[in-house]
Amino acid sequence: MQVFLQTLIGGISFGAVYALVAMGFSIVYRTMGLVNFAHGSVVMIGAYAASTFYMASRLPFPVAIVVAIVVTGLIGLIIERVLRPLEGRDFDLMLIGTIGFGTVLEALAILIWGATGHAVPSPVTAAPLDVLGIKIRTYSLLVIAVATVATVLLALFLQRTKKGAAMQAVAMDPQAATAVGIHVGRSNAMAFAIGAGLAALAGGLVGPMLYVSPVMGGSLGIKGFAAAIFGGFGSIPGAIVGGMAFGILDSVAAGAFQGYSELIVFLVFAVAVMIRPTGIFGERTVNRA
Amino acid sequence: MKRLVVPLLAIAAWLLPYGLDPYAIHVVDVAIIFALLGIGLGLVMGVAGQINLAQVAFFGIGAYTCAILTTRAGLGFWVAAALAVLAAVAIGLVVSIPALRVQSHYLGIVTLGLALAFINWTTNAALAGKSEGISDLPVPPLFGVDLSSEYLFYYVEIVVFAIALAFALFVVRSPLGRRMRAMRDDSLAAGALGAEIPLLRITAFVLSGLYGGVAGVLYAGLIRYIAPETFSIANMFLLLAMVIIGGRQSIVGCVIGAVALSLIREVLVDFSVYAQLGYGTVVVLMVVFAPTGLAGLPVRLRARLRGRTGGDRRGPAELRPFTPYGEAPSGDPTGVVLEIRAVGMRFKGLRALDDVSLEVGAGEIRGVVGPNGSGKTTLFNIISGFYTASSGRVVLRGTDVTGAAPYRLAQLGVARTFQNLRLFGDLTVRENVLVALDRTRTSWIWRYVALPWTVVRQDRALSAQADELLDRYGLTDFAGARPQSLPYGIQRRIEIARAMAMSPRLLLLDEPAAGLNGEEVRLLGEMVRSLRDSGVTVVIIEHNMGLVMSLCDQVTVLSSGRVIADGPPAAVAVVPEVIEAYLGDSTYMSHESQDTTSRDATSQDTTSQDTTEAAR
Repeated sequence: MQVFLQTLIGGISFGAVYALVAMGFSIVYRTMGLVNFAHGSVVMIGAYAASTFYMASRLPFPVAIVVAIVVTGLIGLIIERVLRPLEGRDFDLMLIGTIGFGTVLEALAILIWGATGHAVPSPVTAAPLDVLGIKIRTYSLLVIAVATVATVLLALFLQRTKKGAAMQAVAMDPQAATAVGIHVGRSNAMAFAIGAGLAALAGGLVGPMLYVSPVMGGSLGIKGFAAAIFGGFGSIPGAIVGGMAFGILDSVAAGAFQGYSELIVFLVFAVAVMIRPTGIFGERTVNRA
Repeated sequence: MKRLVVPLLAIAAWLLPYGLDPYAIHVVDVAIIFALLGIGLGLVMGVAGQINLAQVAFFGIGAYTCAILTTRAGLGFWVAAALAVLAAVAIGLVVSIPALRVQSHYLGIVTLGLALAFINWTTNAALAGKSEGISDLPVPPLFGVDLSSEYLFYYVEIVVFAIALAFALFVVRSPLGRRMRAMRDDSLAAGALGAEIPLLRITAFVLSGLYGGVAGVLYAGLIRYIAPETFSIANMFLLLAMVIIGGRQSIVGCVIGAVALSLIREVLVDFSVYAQLGYGTVVVLMVVFAPTGLAGLPVRLRARLRGRTGGDRRGPAELRPFTPYGEAPSGDPTGVVLEIRAVGMRFKGLRALDDVSLEVGAGEIRGVVGPNGSGKTTLFNIISGFYTASSGRVVLRGTDVTGAAPYRLAQLGVARTFQNLRLFGDLTVRENVLVALDRTRTSWIWRYVALPWTVVRQDRALSAQADELLDRYGLTDFAGARPQSLPYGIQRRIEIARAMAMSPRLLLLDEPAAGLNGEEVRLLGEMVRSLRDSGVTVVIIEHNMGLVMSLCDQVTVLSSGRVIADGPPAAVAVVPEVIEAYLGDSTYMSHESQDTTSRDATSQDTTSQDTTEAAR
């Protein structure tokens, strides 16, 4: 029981990171129907940027993350601008185009930071909490708290502000949104920047939990994407639930199958998608003839 | 000139090793393996439209199975190789299962996940040598030829490659390839034309598994050492870049892309990061500016040039008149063709159809009318198998077909057209018709391997039929055009021709007159009558009341998902509920309708309020 709870706590803190990654995927997807395969690489750039500013420039950790968010937000704007001609046209081409961007970002990271990667010291030095014999790292609590705050802010933005409402309108019907005077291109760019910002937040937070390296984006991105599908692609609550579910699945599999955890996780994922392609909160789309 | 290309290439391939140093021949050997992988990926992704990011895992399965069977089980190389290819094909079959449920990005992430699972297995399993991999594979024996020489291995590879390329080209140009391309362009329409979508998807993955397996075996024989990093996601993306840059829809393009990128990668081997940066950038530029890749450039350039010089020199293409079909030989067919029994359809809270029943007799032209949103197209979607009715039954000529897949219904003789036109955009008009003419089952595909010449013979027969059909519909001038480049009225006619190419018993026409001018509507009416006279039963959804009144034997009126009237046009047009459904004002209209009972012409005008004027 104790072991299980310990695994659960570990799973939830990684789940919070996956949820942030999945939300980044989802907000871009629901606003512009773009599946951003470069998202994982943006997370990696975010992790590098945050850790570099934190360690080399000696900025406080929160400031470093904010700077990283700005950096990745700009990258997001660039990706959106380049791929704009494909929006709403060819899904497969966009998918491949973003994979191309991911490759470019990974190469850039190797050029800037080298191929080896580095470890990031935890910004919280307090001793782990001991609750009923379960050790909880204080940094994990911080991660969960930050992820929660970010989610709440995002939800408030989408529901309570004019810009957020405009973004929702674009998601539902870009043409109708144009007709009522919303600048769809600008709204899409903003969605992309927010998605990339969420990626940097996830990357910055995961830095002290993992080893920061150019290839970290691959597995984080794929797992975040899988989490988004798990929860229901394009849905914000789905991204959170999917992220948590994936984090827990990941850590349970790691406990039970050690090295083979990835094999198990992706097999489970493949089966889950086959059983319920729309995920937990996904809308069932109807083929219109 | 074209006839010389193959022999010249063969001679060049034969002479090539004489001019290469040992390192260069190694590079070429590896490039050929990537070219094989590229063909496999091109077939599954470019031709069949299935996003497959597990191609590198098929490659790995082939190589690892071969390595494990030779070093651990002590099998001979070629026996192990045969089993390895079978294993890769089997894995292709397994990976195709998700494709039956999900498509596009979902399929992309599932296949990518499965590729990661495979890599995870190779780095952990003692059987696969963990991260050190497996070394000391035996040299493949070949009648005393020393295949440890990379020069001699080159000849083995080039023979295998030539066969593989020829087979891929054959498949793409055959009816099977045409069906796959149709499925890629529009899987719904392809299903409605009788293409067995699930089986086609499985076939596509099996083919990509086959090519992956063959490439893996050759890799094992060439390098004789395998390790997980060869089958990494980075290499999967490299392979993807090869296929995209070369042009995924063209097999030759995939080969060119694979060879070119392999060579460039070797040249830049000391600057691998810059190479990665380079090909990533090229992929992005390619998808934005040249989505058809290098293979598509000649066509695009030609189109650009033609645009500048002002069209080609042939006379203007024109739509010729339709040649009516002859009368059905068997005289008047009798009996009920289609029977809808109390069908209901619910989408979450919305009741789109509620207790709808109707019977269509053989040789009848049945009109289905009703205001927008009254459930007409939903009814068609149920009859043609896109939706499964929430309740009730659909009976086709006495057979219960409720819930049958679209391709099953198509095979039973149901053809349809679509409200918003669903022609295959990347196929020519002729190919669009050919897809529908091909009535063979996909399970026929064993002939592609066993009896390829019968496939060629059958294709020739189909071609002749296609020419005849295009001629009948006056479309000969547009045979080689892409549908999207043609005027709307012509596209409508192509859709009808395509549906009739299936030789259906029951034809469903969804708003065939939408967007047509008066003269075109008149011709359409004549055409539909001729189709009926040839023995086809027709159900037609139409808003053009003039057409409906003059053409249909029976009219069913739907409103809010219910049948509100059913009978001959003149009788239906005066039913108060019908007039109310169309005009909305019940008190005024019921009064008016009593007035018009005696005067048919007036009532027709009343009901045709939302239609374009039609020539009678």
